[in-house]
Amino acid sequence: MKSKRFEALAARPVNQDGYVQEWPEVGLIAMNSPFDPKPSIKIENGRIVEMDGKTRADFDMLDTFIADHAIRLGNAEKAMAMDSLDIARKIVDINVSRDEILDITLSVTPAKLTEIVGKLTIVEIMMGMTKMRARLMPANQCHVTNVKDNPVQIAADAAEAAVRGFAEMETTVGIARYAPFNAMALFVGAQAGRPGIMTQCALEEATELQLGMRGFTTYAETISVYGTEPVFMDGDDTPYSKAFLASCYASRGLKMRFTSGTGSEVQMGYAEGKSMLYLEARCLAVTKGAGVQGTQNGSVSCVGVPAGVPGGIRAIAAENLIAMLLDLESTTSNDQTFTHSDLRRVARSVPQLFSGTDYICSGYSATPNYDNMFAGSNWDADDYDDWNIIQRDMRIDGGLQPVKEEDVIKARNKAARALQGMFRELGLPPITDEEVEAATYARGSEDMPNRNVNEDLKAIEAMMARKVTGVDFVKALDKAGFPDVAQNIYNMLRQKVAGDYLHTASIFDKDFHVFSGVNAPNDYHGPMTGYQLSEERWEQIKNIPNAIRPEDI
Amino acid sequence: MDQELLMKQIVEQVMAAMNKGAASAPSTPAGGRMTAANYPLAEKETDKLKTPTGKPFSSLSYEKVLSGELTSDDMRIAPETLEYQAQVAESVNREAFAGNLRRAAELIAVPDERLLEIYNALRPYRSTKQELLDIASELDGKYGAKTAAGLVREAAEVYEKRDRLKKF
Repeated sequence: MKSKRFEALAARPVNQDGYVQEWPEVGLIAMNSPFDPKPSIKIENGRIVEMDGKTRADFDMLDTFIADHAIRLGNAEKAMAMDSLDIARKIVDINVSRDEILDITLSVTPAKLTEIVGKLTIVEIMMGMTKMRARLMPANQCHVTNVKDNPVQIAADAAEAAVRGFAEMETTVGIARYAPFNAMALFVGAQAGRPGIMTQCALEEATELQLGMRGFTTYAETISVYGTEPVFMDGDDTPYSKAFLASCYASRGLKMRFTSGTGSEVQMGYAEGKSMLYLEARCLAVTKGAGVQGTQNGSVSCVGVPAGVPGGIRAIAAENLIAMLLDLESTTSNDQTFTHSDLRRVARSVPQLFSGTDYICSGYSATPNYDNMFAGSNWDADDYDDWNIIQRDMRIDGGLQPVKEEDVIKARNKAARALQGMFRELGLPPITDEEVEAATYARGSEDMPNRNVNEDLKAIEAMMARKVTGVDFVKALDKAGFPDVAQNIYNMLRQKVAGDYLHTASIFDKDFHVFSGVNAPNDYHGPMTGYQLSEERWEQIKNIPNAIRPEDI
Repeated sequence: MDQELLMKQIVEQVMAAMNKGAASAPSTPAGGRMTAANYPLAEKETDKLKTPTGKPFSSLSYEKVLSGELTSDDMRIAPETLEYQAQVAESVNREAFAGNLRRAAELIAVPDERLLEIYNALRPYRSTKQELLDIASELDGKYGAKTAAGLVREAAEVYEKRDRLKKF
């Protein structure tokens, strides 16, 4: 006989997901592996000669880079000698400041960081996040893509996402050669929706930098680093090439962060028998050593791996916390789809959403999932109201706010028309009124007419050959009758000259005033300190249009 | 809309003028190093910033972009500005980040195409040791990029040790 109860349970979405038992020998273990190295450090003549149980002669490329660049030597021996449990307790002690914690955690090795966070429960990790994230107020980032690479839809979706509250937006491509159009459409759409939003286009490293140099984007994020040397090589980079790349971006006034996450090494087959979290701690040390201001981490596109092992989702939160313990901007994933279960996908985001991080999602899909070209997201446009109501239920700021339909339609229409005008002035293939109309009311690319892809790609090639830059966008938009959007693009370009937004955890408000870890540092030290919702912001969050008003009854 | 834009410009001009007046205020400490108190530089230190083409930051305007007086070569960051930002970073104990900004300041002079080539040359198995050392000499000699050159020399040593140089 079969149990009817078990039959019903077997049909539940959570049982469509894949799970695997721990297998530490190959690295299929989230954290606290018996094979993780024991923390150690030895310094001679101002140089680390032993780290985490290895002598310099045995260092691989990552060890060498980390030992030479990532650890503050002055306080290292003292910090390494402290009991990891004591340090873990300081992290959750409201009487120990963020700065005091950083004095310790910026002076220790990857194995030590792993050991410290290994002592924390998920709730304690969340308390750590609340205190340790760099910026005072949390924010959110979204993906704006579609399966057709339709630029008009990108512009409209970006404008809507801007109205809904995202501070940063990321696009990528289905067809690589479409990248310049996607980047332009995102830039224009975002600035039409709300001035001051930063935008990026995820591409192969060198191409991504090129678009940034041309003024098509304002920051970059897909600069991947890995926790073992063979995987780094498979990724076609080294810590040195990536450190150089980091400086290339800053030399052009472009903000950038690295990307890494638990599970990538075991997924690529070279975990060297270490836990996912230890390898991620190495990635973050490389990031720190390269002098990059921040990281996108939290397993990211490898989420299926930690999500399959015991404690994996806790490890993802723990890796976010390690980023914060290294004083890095923390852009905390909550992106790629990993589960069939709505309950699991909410639980996965609770640590970052409830604690608040510099960017809670990286990103939240601003389209329906079928249009998300980053392999889907844990949150998408169909979940906008769920997100808003969770914020309202919990009285938290997840970076979004409820919106009115007419405002969204207006913003989408304006962005589509602005792009239409800019295309016309730049001599690009026309955007028809029919496309503008469709983008204004679309849910996704199924509602969009097809463009002539060959014609678009030819025009892109010609446009890149004649060296069109962001400055040309400004002129074209002004000429097309969108001086306010043009002015916003100009202001973003102007910010690149000043470089304030290169700093840790920067965002702009609508007046291009920058908030970062420099002028808006997180000063949480217990109840009623740190970021507090203002009355104005709480009004914005709680006033959903579908709540019954007592005066109407 | 036009009126709103006009108001915006007026406010910006007034703000710029106010910032100018405050430039000699003690927010810049003795020795002239920038700190978090000077940040954001775009608002508080407008008179100290310049484009790499030598134009004052405060002279940048939307109208000049439209008229063609400002080009994309002007809308770039200057080495001095990155040095100021590095000082701001140091004032909030972000010395690794400050180091990156200083390395970046050196690379401003390197043209886009050459910068991309050097990055690609630093990828695994792309260069011989001598090729990397030549790049380091070029960075050092031609552009005065001493820290960046140091990083490339370091890479040459480590790549050799780890067998990540170009294979024939």
